Amino acid sequence: MAPPMIDPALFDQLKDNIEKDSSIRKDLEQIIEELNQNVSYTQGVLTKIHSTSRSKYPALLSQVESGIKKELDTTTRLAQFASQYPYYKYNYKWGRTLQDAIATVLLCAWLGGMGSDSKPGEVGRLLTLEEVGEVFGAPVNLKDRDAFHITIEEYLLALISVVEDLSRLAMNSVTLGDTELAVQISGFIKDLHGGFQMLNLKNDILRKRVDSVKYAVKKVEDVVYDLSLRNLIPAKEAQ
Amino acid sequence: MDEAPPPKRAKIVSEDIAKPIDNSIGNTMSGFKRDRHGNEKRFNNGPRPAPKPKVAVVRNAYTPMFEQLRNELDAHHDRRDRLGKVSRDVTGLSKKIVRTINPDLPPQIQAEVDSRLAEISKLLATMAPDVQGINRYRYSRSLMCLEELAEALTFAHYLKTQTLLKPDELSAFVEELTRKGAAVSEEKDEDKDEPMPDAGNTPVPASGEQETTSDDPKPTEKEEQPKPEPLIMSTTEDDYFYGVFDLSGEMMRFATTSTALTGKMAGAEDERTIVEDMHELGSFFEMLPGKAGDRKQWEKKLDVMRQSVRKVERLGYDRKIRGSERPQGWVPDLTADQPGEDEEL
Repeated sequence: MAPPMIDPALFDQLKDNIEKDSSIRKDLEQIIEELNQNVSYTQGVLTKIHSTSRSKYPALLSQVESGIKKELDTTTRLAQFASQYPYYKYNYKWGRTLQDAIATVLLCAWLGGMGSDSKPGEVGRLLTLEEVGEVFGAPVNLKDRDAFHITIEEYLLALISVVEDLSRLAMNSVTLGDTELAVQISGFIKDLHGGFQMLNLKNDILRKRVDSVKYAVKKVEDVVYDLSLRNLIPAKEAQ
Repeated sequence: MDEAPPPKRAKIVSEDIAKPIDNSIGNTMSGFKRDRHGNEKRFNNGPRPAPKPKVAVVRNAYTPMFEQLRNELDAHHDRRDRLGKVSRDVTGLSKKIVRTINPDLPPQIQAEVDSRLAEISKLLATMAPDVQGINRYRYSRSLMCLEELAEALTFAHYLKTQTLLKPDELSAFVEELTRKGAAVSEEKDEDKDEPMPDAGNTPVPASGEQETTSDDPKPTEKEEQPKPEPLIMSTTEDDYFYGVFDLSGEMMRFATTSTALTGKMAGAEDERTIVEDMHELGSFFEMLPGKAGDRKQWEKKLDVMRQSVRKVERLGYDRKIRGSERPQGWVPDLTADQPGEDEEL
C-alpha cells in the first residue's frame, strides 16, 4: 500500500499555523486600533496650533504631551507584542499609524514641547531618529537582532508630514501676527528640503512623499515673499 | 544677439536664415529648445542653466543627519536590488527544471535537474548573507524565486514518490542547497578570488552596526574570518504554500501530457491515479482556513488551483468514457468548458 498523497498530520500542522497567524494579526489589529485613537486625538489637539498664539503654546503643548503619553503607552505594548515575531512580517500593519505617532512627537518637540531636564524644549528643535527612539523607548534602525524598532523610512515619512503641517503654520502664524515664526519655519523647511535632496530615492512611497516637500517650500517662500514685500520681516532676520 | 523678441515678422524670417550659422559657432554639441518662430529659446536669465549638481554644496545643520540616513537607505536599496536580480535567475532556473521534469524522469533529465540545482545552490549561497535574521521578512517580496523553487522541488518529489513534500523537508532541502552552494563558491574563492557579495553584512552580532556606515562592501574582508558554519537560506511557510499552489498547475499539465502520450492516467499501477491526488490536493487547500496575510493572492491562487482540478477530473472522465476509442496522442480539448483561463500565473 503506497503512502497517501498528503500526510494527514501535515494538514493539522499547517492549519494550526495559519490559525495562530490569524490570531496574532487580530491581537495586533486591536493594539494598532488603540494607538490609532490616541494618535488621532493628539493630532486633533495639535491642529489648534494654527489658531493659538505663541504665548499660549505651553498650555496647549502640555495637552499634546498628555496625548503623546498615551500613544507611548500603547506603542510600548505594541513593541512587546511585536517583538515576539519576525519584525518585517507584520510591520506593514502598524507602519502608517506609527508614522503618525512619530509625527506628533516631532511636531510637538519642534514647537517647544517634549523638553527634558537636560534638553529644555525650544521652538525649532528637530528630534533626530535616535532621540525619537529614546522618546518611544524603542531601538532605531535595528540590524543585529529581530525585534520591534523604528525604521528610517518611518522617521522620514513622519518628518514629511511635519513639514506639511509647518508650512500651513507659517501662513497662520502670520495671520496671528507672529511673522518671526513664519520666517523661522521657512528657514527650517528649506534646510530640510536640502537634506531630502541628498537622498537617493527609489521609486517607492518615500519618493512620492518627498515630492510634497517642495510644495511646502513654495508655500513658505510665498509667505516670506509677501512679508518682505511689505517690510514685515523682523529686523534680525533681514540680512 | 537674439535676446529681445524680434518686433516684426519680416525680421524673424531673416533671423531664421541666420540661425544655422549661429548654431555652428555656439553650442554645437547639444540640442536646444526653439520657440514657435524657430529661434533658440532663451531662459529668463540667459542661457539654460547647467543641470544642478546632485549634491548641493550648501551645508546646513541637518546635512550630516541626512547623509547618515542616505547611506543607510542606500545599503538597503543595494541589498534589495541584489536580491531581486539573483531571485530572477533562480526563478528562471526553477522554471526550467519544471519544464524538463514534465514528461518523465529518465536519467538524463535527472542529470539536467541536478545541474540546474547546482546552479541554483550557488545563487542561493550568494543571497544568504543578505537575508539573515531580521532581513528575512524584510526582503520577502524580493524572494519570489523561493516559491518557484518550492514548486520545482515539490513537483520533482511528487513525480518520484507520488506524495506531497512537507514544509520542513522543503526547508531542509533548500538549506542543504545553500550549504552546498557556499561550499562550492568557497573553493572557487581560493583560486579565483571571486568577490562574495557583501560578505561583511552578515549579522555577526554588533559588528553589523559599524559595517553599513562604510558605503561599499569590501570583498576581501571575507578571508579574515573563517566561517565554520555557512549562512543558510531559510524558507517561510508562505513560500511553501504558494509553491504548492503552483504545483497543482504542473500536476495538471503533467496529467494531460502523460495521458495523451501513454493513453492511461498517470499513477501507480491499480492504485491511486493523479486524478485522486489532484482531488486530495484540492480538498487540502479548500479545508485550510484562508491565509490572513495576503488574502487576495491566496484567493487568486486557490481559484487557479480549482480550475486545474476541474481540468484533470474532466480528463479522467474522458478516459473512462471513451478511452479506448481514442487514438494515442490525442489531447482532449480542455478549454471547452473553461474558456479563457490560463493555468500559468
